[in-house]
Amino acid sequence: MRGTRWYPIAYMFFVTAGFSSVVIGVAAMTRERVEANARAAFQSAVLAVLPGLYEPGLSGPEVERRFVEQVSEPDARSAGAYTLRKDGQVVAYALPFVGQGFWAPIRGVIGIAADRQTILGITFYEQGETPGLGAEITRPAFRRQFEGRILAREERPIRMRRPGTELDKNEVFAITGAAQTSIRLEAIINQAVRQWQEAL
Amino acid sequence: MSPNGTPMGTWGFAVQGLWRDNPIFRQVLGICSALAVTNLVMNTVVMCAALVFTLSLSATTVSILRLLTPRNIRMMVETLIIAFYVIIVDVVLGAYWPSMRASLGPYVGLIITNCIVMGRCEAYGNSNPPLGAFRDGFFNALGYSFILLLVAVPREILGMGTFLGLPVPFFATPAWDKWIIMVMPPGAFFMLGIVVWIFRDIQQRREKG
Repeated sequence: MRGTRWYPIAYMFFVTAGFSSVVIGVAAMTRERVEANARAAFQSAVLAVLPGLYEPGLSGPEVERRFVEQVSEPDARSAGAYTLRKDGQVVAYALPFVGQGFWAPIRGVIGIAADRQTILGITFYEQGETPGLGAEITRPAFRRQFEGRILAREERPIRMRRPGTELDKNEVFAITGAAQTSIRLEAIINQAVRQWQEAL
Repeated sequence: MSPNGTPMGTWGFAVQGLWRDNPIFRQVLGICSALAVTNLVMNTVVMCAALVFTLSLSATTVSILRLLTPRNIRMMVETLIIAFYVIIVDVVLGAYWPSMRASLGPYVGLIITNCIVMGRCEAYGNSNPPLGAFRDGFFNALGYSFILLLVAVPREILGMGTFLGLPVPFFATPAWDKWIIMVMPPGAFFMLGIVVWIFRDIQQRREKG
């Protein structure tokens, strides 16, 4: 039997089927936890870009509690953004965005003040860019650049420029060595922001 | 079996994996991950645990299936087995320790291409009984791990002033000007180079003596 031509094919088929079913089983068993982790990551990202809701090291249940108690779900008036309200008035918006990065989808949230143009902060809760290059977008040094920038009402509300150039009030420095990540990220953020500005 | 053909006990496997044929400073395999994940001791420990798990179990599995596996497709089967254990590690980390999975980034998945794993499956697991294959894989993974820790501990202390995230006396104070380069990629090359140099020197002296 081992000498026959179909033996390697049948063998590979059964071995693959066997191992794959175990992997599928393990993945199915942990699915609930993985989904809960993804939800927690999103919730802390939203809290992180809204003023006064987040400090590092917040526990999972505490994140969930603050999110549920303080943050209002998107409605028609907020045009898809989560909001932080005080006495019914919007204090800040948290706008989620998603798009294809260089390697994998980039998901993040951008915080915008009640004036609908000042950026409060930006954070990424899922990305798969090259470590040391594109993945630098998750570093505070890159993210902090966005704080206080003013979204323009034009085709590209926020722009990324080559490091070293002079910046306008809606511009930040791109990441050296990660042109693709920078270009795509700019497009992802702008698409979400444009859509939001138009819907408001 | 040892190189001179006599059956080998656990001690023999240990000497070979940890010292005589150490994967890092003797075989110079798995250098990519040795450079990439050694900037924080905690990441290194998790990476090493993942490698010990993957290497010992995939060598054992390859060995169990060795009499059934056709020779011409054996590397496909080995890759499949290695990928299987690595995905299990990845899924479990993603479910129970998502922050660790995020900070290890793609390196857990890259264990699949770690030359040590395929190397041991080919060199030993493929042609020896399971118990020996397990011990061979286990001690080779430990040999990799202790060198990685020797690289990681000075990197974290000199570069961040911490050990496992806890402040270290003197190095965490302003008196120590942190060597940021140590936690960046060049620091890995320096540290690994020094460690390999020291161990090879000791080894050669002992062989001559």
